[in-house]
Amino acid sequence: MRWPKYVALPVLGLAFVSLLPLLCSAQGSGSVHLKRYAMGTVFEIVVYDDDSTKAEAAAHAALDEAVRLDRMMSNYKADSELSQMNRSAHFQPVRISRELYDIIEQSLSYSRVSGGQFDISVGPLVDLWKAALAGGPIPSADEQTAARGCVGYQQIELLPPDRIQFLSNCMRLDLGSIGKGYAVDRMVELLKARGIRRAYIDAGGSTIYGLGYPKSANAWRVRLRDPSGKLFPQTSLMNSSVSTSEQSAPSPLQGDAPGHIVLPGTGKPLQTRNTVSVTAQSATASDALSTTLLLLGPTKGAALLKTLHGISAIWIDPDGQRLVAGDSAVFHLSGEQQSTRTSQPAKAAVEMSNTRQDSPR
Amino acid sequence: MSKLSLLCALLLSSIAWTPATAKVFFRVTATSLPPSDKTAIDDLVLPWPLRDSSIVARFRNAGYTVWLQCDSKNLASVSDAVDPAAVAGVIVAGATSSNQFAEAEEIRSFMAAHKNLSFRILVSGGKQPQMKGRLVVERDGILQVSSPSTQPWLDTNLAAVRIAHSSSPDSLPIAYDFRWSPSDVPPGAWYPDAEDYALAIAESDAVRSDVIIDLPASLQQALNAEDPQAWSLWKRVMPYLGFSSHAPVAKAEPIANLGVIVDNTKASYEPINLLARHSFAFEALRPANLTLARLQKWNSVVVFSSLNTESFALLQDFATKGGIVVFVNSHDKFPWHSIPPSRQESRTTTYSIGAGQIVELGEPVIEPENFARDLRRLIGRDRSAIALWNSLTTIATAYREEAPAETTLYLVNYADQPDNVQIQVKGRFTRVRFEAPEEHCCVPLPFVERNGFTEFTIPSLRIAARVHLDSDGESSAAQ
Repeated sequence: MRWPKYVALPVLGLAFVSLLPLLCSAQGSGSVHLKRYAMGTVFEIVVYDDDSTKAEAAAHAALDEAVRLDRMMSNYKADSELSQMNRSAHFQPVRISRELYDIIEQSLSYSRVSGGQFDISVGPLVDLWKAALAGGPIPSADEQTAARGCVGYQQIELLPPDRIQFLSNCMRLDLGSIGKGYAVDRMVELLKARGIRRAYIDAGGSTIYGLGYPKSANAWRVRLRDPSGKLFPQTSLMNSSVSTSEQSAPSPLQGDAPGHIVLPGTGKPLQTRNTVSVTAQSATASDALSTTLLLLGPTKGAALLKTLHGISAIWIDPDGQRLVAGDSAVFHLSGEQQSTRTSQPAKAAVEMSNTRQDSPR
Repeated sequence: MSKLSLLCALLLSSIAWTPATAKVFFRVTATSLPPSDKTAIDDLVLPWPLRDSSIVARFRNAGYTVWLQCDSKNLASVSDAVDPAAVAGVIVAGATSSNQFAEAEEIRSFMAAHKNLSFRILVSGGKQPQMKGRLVVERDGILQVSSPSTQPWLDTNLAAVRIAHSSSPDSLPIAYDFRWSPSDVPPGAWYPDAEDYALAIAESDAVRSDVIIDLPASLQQALNAEDPQAWSLWKRVMPYLGFSSHAPVAKAEPIANLGVIVDNTKASYEPINLLARHSFAFEALRPANLTLARLQKWNSVVVFSSLNTESFALLQDFATKGGIVVFVNSHDKFPWHSIPPSRQESRTTTYSIGAGQIVELGEPVIEPENFARDLRRLIGRDRSAIALWNSLTTIATAYREEAPAETTLYLVNYADQPDNVQIQVKGRFTRVRFEAPEEHCCVPLPFVERNGFTEFTIPSLRIAARVHLDSDGESSAAQ
């Protein structure tokens, strides 16, 4: 095990944005910054506590939890519980762990509220296009039709308290659109149980949770992905989460390269260059809904958010046009008056605006 | 000039290069160390000028091979001062882009006059090998940008070394070094830790280049003082030193299905770095060295530089026979422009030529990660000499050796967590054997042959491993 890279690290690289300063300053004792590979990405955690031994132990335990859940939910690992379930739940109930049952149950609730746009049974389609994304041929129409026949959350039957059955002989579940959020929530629970009140968890950049707030600020500030590079959007987290979804970038060499996010209804990769960031009280919710709202698009997505409590979202397109749904005060853009609270929505709004005053959308 | 630019400029200068043997040097500042047979270190580097002229003899008596590191401008004074019987060689640092050609000549002259000394040109700009995070921790919070899930970012020296290999083969040998990333550690802890050293050693082995690793003064002193914690750390490093020193040193040819033509590394370094991180089996080549013989070893080529008309003809013929050629930031007029493109988009134009194709990208690589993924897709799995599955923190390199007929695959896992690595190597092999610092040579691995590829799995790759793929002579990889 590597030594923890303590918060006083003078220099850390930031791979994603070279614009941001790379210097970090002394934070004082009792803070620890660790990273761990899990779920195909790097989980990072910063824990603040006056007791550095306690902070370090808690951070390690939280990352261990992410690795453990990866082993459970991975569809890459043949011996994961998910993979075993995917091999055996066709037409006969199989017993699964409470955690796997819980996350599938939560997933199905998002499937229902989104009218099936969020669907963890989309695995066969995702795998089909993932192979193409990795260098395989574009799937044929027949292959796409066959894969679509395997998809449909209605064919997942949960049998309380701990069994599951697939009503399709080719169904396969993929928790990639919710698993990191679920893992982050479990990490937060674990930190709280160990008495940690200030922490920051990043699951590969796509789901971020702020527990409490830093000593010298009233919230964790997070800059949001902005494909236009014009808006510099930010949000502030305090016991809340933000997740960001975006389709794979267009192919520089081949225009028709497939993306990794597939529309369950059509069976084809989503065609959009929008980015959506979603804030919620739980990372499970923000993770699941970021994918869902990207698939739904701004108009239908905003309508969905009117039915949900405590969820806000911002869609940004490459031209800098944006749409905010939910609590507009959650997001602040460069030059606008800042707001730092997500827990008490100032107003429910669906707002369309454009930074270029001369070219409204 | 940035360190990277300096590295790139130097590597692509007229300074030629001789294949190195993944020798691990440790740069020390202390005046003594425990004996070599106790530390498992062979080669020490001492900065010039020496504070104590007796230090060389002291280290030699302790069993070490001693090298001196000096700035190029001090080369003459070093040669006058050192006893060739006591010093094995000289590491020459501080070359600059402005006088690199003159310095190369000076160093060659110096080498000719001192045949009993070995030399390495130290290229700066190396990176501490590591899996990096994204967070920047500040006094009042975290600097962070949300994004779609990103793959782990690996800092590796593979690209820089491959670019170094693009120079002519009769040249001065190089070594790279790096600085340990500054870090705050808990009281009583050592930094770098054993895994940091192990990764640096393993990477040097995999990229087949000499590396100079700084041994912090505090650790040197603690080893001298028989500090149990220091020795506990170092005993975890020693298996990697032993593993590295047993690497095959015979002249080995990198296995590559992709050729990368490059002369301006400042513009093309990062795309090449991403090719390395995605375990493309590639070689880098300067434009002047592009020949039919080199092309016959590859099935795909990426061109980052301007070429002459003879090279156009070679590449057109290469494509006609089924090869894939990608020109990056290309605005030249090519012979194949006389035929209509098979595909034209805002940034790319594709020509189907014979059994192959030529793709012209009309702009620099904006997003190297996307470029690497897209290139993988364009080349296709059946043309890739090496492919890894589900191993985003591991890089692989492979080399073919003639006697005995063997392909050796080097694997380095940057995550410091055991990884289940699934590997596909083009070619048919009669035996697959695995070794690692934790597994003495060699553990037979079960493998399957599928469509001309050999597939096998390493159940738990920690930091370093080698896989020996024995051939009966009738099959080979990457052809």
